[in-house]
Amino acid sequence: MPDPSGFDAAHPPTTHIVATVNGRKVARTVPIHYRVIDFVREELKLTGNKEGCGAGECGTCSMFVDGTLIKSCLAPVQKIHGRTVETVDDLDADQGMTVIQRAFHKCGASQCGYCIPGMVMAATSTLRKRPRASLDEIKEGLGGNICRCTGYQKILDAVAMARDVLNGTRPETDLEEAATDSFIGSRTRRLDAPAKVTGAIKYAADLWMPNMLHMQVLRSPHPHARIQRLDVGEARAMPGVECVLTCDDVPGVDNFGVFIEDQPIMARGMVRYVGEGIAAVVAETADIAREAVKRIRVTYDLLPGVFDPFEAMKEGAPQLHGFAPGNICKHTRIRKGDVEAGLGEADLVVQETYRTSALEHAYLEPEAGLAYLEPDGCVTVMSPSQNITHHRHMLARILGRPINKVRMIMSTVGGGFGGKEDMLYQGMLALAAIRTRRPVRYVFTREESIAASAKRHPFSIDYTMGLRRGGLIVATRMIMVSDGGAYAMSTPGVMNKSAILGPGPYTIPNVWVDAIGVYTNNTPSGAFRAFGAFQSEFATESHLDLCAERLGMDPAQLRRLNLMQDGATTHTRQPLDRVAATACLDAALAAARWDPGVPHREARGEPARIDLGGPGTRAPCTLGLGTMATDKETT
Amino acid sequence: MLTFDRYVTATTLDEAFDALQATPGARLVAGATDLLPWAREGRAGDVHLPALVDVGAIPALTAVTGEDGVLRIGAATSIAACERHPLLLRDAGLLARCAVWFADDQIREQATLGGNLVNASPAGDTLPALLAMNARVVLAARDGAGIRERAMPLADFITGPGRTRLGNNEILVRIDCDAVPGHGGAFEKVGHRRSLVISTVCLAVLARLEPARRTLADVRIAIGAVGPVPERLGDAETALRGQRPTPAAIREAAVLAADRVRSRSRQEYRREVLVNFVERGLVAALEQCGLAVQRLPQEIVHA
Ligand SMILES: Cc1cc2nc3c(=O)[nH]c(=O)nc-3n(C[C@H](O)[C@H](O)[C@H](O)COP(=O)(O)OP(=O)(O)OC[C@H]3O[C@@H](n4cnc5c(N)ncnc54)[C@H](O)[C@@H]3O)c2cc1C
Ligand code: FES
Ligand code: FES
Repeated sequence: MPDPSGFDAAHPPTTHIVATVNGRKVARTVPIHYRVIDFVREELKLTGNKEGCGAGECGTCSMFVDGTLIKSCLAPVQKIHGRTVETVDDLDADQGMTVIQRAFHKCGASQCGYCIPGMVMAATSTLRKRPRASLDEIKEGLGGNICRCTGYQKILDAVAMARDVLNGTRPETDLEEAATDSFIGSRTRRLDAPAKVTGAIKYAADLWMPNMLHMQVLRSPHPHARIQRLDVGEARAMPGVECVLTCDDVPGVDNFGVFIEDQPIMARGMVRYVGEGIAAVVAETADIAREAVKRIRVTYDLLPGVFDPFEAMKEGAPQLHGFAPGNICKHTRIRKGDVEAGLGEADLVVQETYRTSALEHAYLEPEAGLAYLEPDGCVTVMSPSQNITHHRHMLARILGRPINKVRMIMSTVGGGFGGKEDMLYQGMLALAAIRTRRPVRYVFTREESIAASAKRHPFSIDYTMGLRRGGLIVATRMIMVSDGGAYAMSTPGVMNKSAILGPGPYTIPNVWVDAIGVYTNNTPSGAFRAFGAFQSEFATESHLDLCAERLGMDPAQLRRLNLMQDGATTHTRQPLDRVAATACLDAALAAARWDPGVPHREARGEPARIDLGGPGTRAPCTLGLGTMATDKETT
Repeated sequence: MLTFDRYVTATTLDEAFDALQATPGARLVAGATDLLPWAREGRAGDVHLPALVDVGAIPALTAVTGEDGVLRIGAATSIAACERHPLLLRDAGLLARCAVWFADDQIREQATLGGNLVNASPAGDTLPALLAMNARVVLAARDGAGIRERAMPLADFITGPGRTRLGNNEILVRIDCDAVPGHGGAFEKVGHRRSLVISTVCLAVLARLEPARRTLADVRIAIGAVGPVPERLGDAETALRGQRPTPAAIREAAVLAADRVRSRSRQEYRREVLVNFVERGLVAALEQCGLAVQRLPQEIVHA
């Protein structure tokens, strides 16, 4: 049957590529539309270099072609025909680690490690081109590579160290581990770091098993709709398709969640957000699976959606879940003292509304997983799950199997930040492995990762604070409304955390907090570093700055005045015996050379602050122009 | 995902035309840095083409020559070449200044000038630089046995976002522009971060002084990313040409740029940046001509 697009995924036209890869001549016949990254990873199984974005933005795929570093996700495979390719896998030419890799290891420049192979390649390219590269030139050379968790300082330290060792201005012994009696306050060896700097460590998308199948998922284009008809017949009939899964294939209880069981592994009659999985295709190649996904026919009965939590709470708003009237997913309350009375006593009452936006985790490793059956029938899912025990329990229920027949293996996590706590695809993978009795791999594209995974909760925080003239806080009222999206995921926990920590580490006699998580037809919100505290603390700290300004007071002094001390009780009545908050604040002020007084002095016509600029502060960016000057000198 | 039935790596223009003729609907490709990301979810989605014709290896398209004050730059010249080709560095330093701000080291090696022009993004960085150099695009087509060329000013070639006058089965072969060895040049760009950003505002300036070094013999200012197509600031150029480049004259000319902002978003921000860019760019270009001009002090206008 001819494909409407004209692309026959089952028999893609092929091309013959001859190239020298890592010093070895290779000749392979591959699909004509392969990019260099596909050739290296899928055909040669050299998985050191990663595909983080597929669009030239992240640098995990950086490889040398004829000695020039390029983004291999943007190069058609034909571009390496007859040429020489170097990947990170063999950068050391089988000698262990290169000086650059050893310097990365020594400097601790690898956290999740997903960006590190690309970083090592960019560093290698920079130092090959400019052996005496300045710091600016190193930054410029690494400008096309993104890191989301190590941060850039250790990486820059590593490249500078490698440069000096290579130039002989620093002894090679500096790359060795320092002998130390103590692990505290010293650089200690991280066991997995050598594998991360060489690209040897395997993330889920790097896994490969003989006889492996590939999965792709049909996702909803609509935010709220009833599925009238789901016809997978044509997809199932395609050559190369092993199976097509829908919610009807779930043998157990298809209703899971961390706090509230409100989610099926694939849409069950209803879709509640754009990007929700509807059906999964498992096929011999990812290309066939993608084509088959296009042949699944869905008839939707479109329903009005609700995209604003305030609208969602109104009477008459579309209801997302039968068990949650008013779309309230979670309402956490803290009541302490008498807030009205407290505000009445205050000399100054400051009211303001703060908003935070949804945020994408953007870990460099997109979601991926591999599932297979053990010979004893135990189904095993390997994926970068941040919560495997919980996932295993949920999976056992979904699959209707005893827990000893379900195994979860946490593959190396290429960045999670909370975003890989949710179970998004492990259920489909396990089902697929059980159904086909073959290993099944699923790798998200970056677009899919952004569409389907949970975001940081957007908050709207209505803040009222009452203070005495001298700066003592007497009352705080925070009413926080948060968009939890279509499914609860971590919303209840995030509401609790934002409420408990929200008023901050300050002694306040009268506290009123409402944290309300609301269901909407937006992408679900979930766990993200700081788990709700970020949003409410942002409001509290911004609010204190505002109050300090109104009081004409140094904002640090206002905080010192109100910080909890030894023996304090938290807003939820937990006694604290040792509180180091004031000592922390003082240490931070000293390190920052804080210049006491109200901010924005220039605008008041007063002398400028003296703690900005100066020694130890970062100089403004001069990138680009710095490298240009050197270019001119050399020509 | 981009799929196709044939991939032709042409080594001559004739081979490229053969392939275009043999496969109606074939698409040209050079560095593929626009083409591959375009054929993804969120942009064009899955795209299937009958053929891709790679023009990146045609020697005529990567040649850079110059005579009689005219530079002829092959369309498949990489952005990286702008930073290191001796002739371009000498006669088109502005392109090197622009290249420094373009994507990152790696994409500069892949991306080509021709791809940037044909892609015709309002934020394409080389467009203002080439406009300032009075660039003309040379388009080739094959009729009968011979190859016919036509040329037009770059400003006429780009007709809107993503739209050009490139005809069916036509290949952009080269860009002809003024050699500007004696001009001072400046390129300014702002985006969300240093590397790999799409311009929010970009600007190219060329300036040359009279031999007596008192008045401006030539000044050219081109802006990008603030409207549907990059354009020259004719009124500011006219105001300055033949004049003494005093701080006040420069500020006055810069202010003229404000009403050129026709972007759909962040107009106010762009206006402020653009005016500052024009002023700073003119000062920087003059500095390269050996003339130090102080910028007028800015009023501090925050609360
Ligand atoms: C991460 C990233 C960052 C980027 N940063 C920047 C940036 O900072 N500034 C900027 O301006 N751009 C940027 N770009 C866009 C892109 O790199 C440029 O537009 C580049 O110049 C395109 O050139 P190319 O050779 O790769 O084009 P291709 O993708 O090969 O082609 C682009 C278009 O031009 C056509 N084409 C190519 N060559 C010819 C020819 N000779 N004749 C006729 N048609 C032709 C193709 O058919 C296609 O339609 C970026 C892209 C990425 C992925
Ligand atoms: S740059 Fe190639 S995968 Fe991100
Ligand atoms: S270590 Fe850089 S992305 Fe995780």
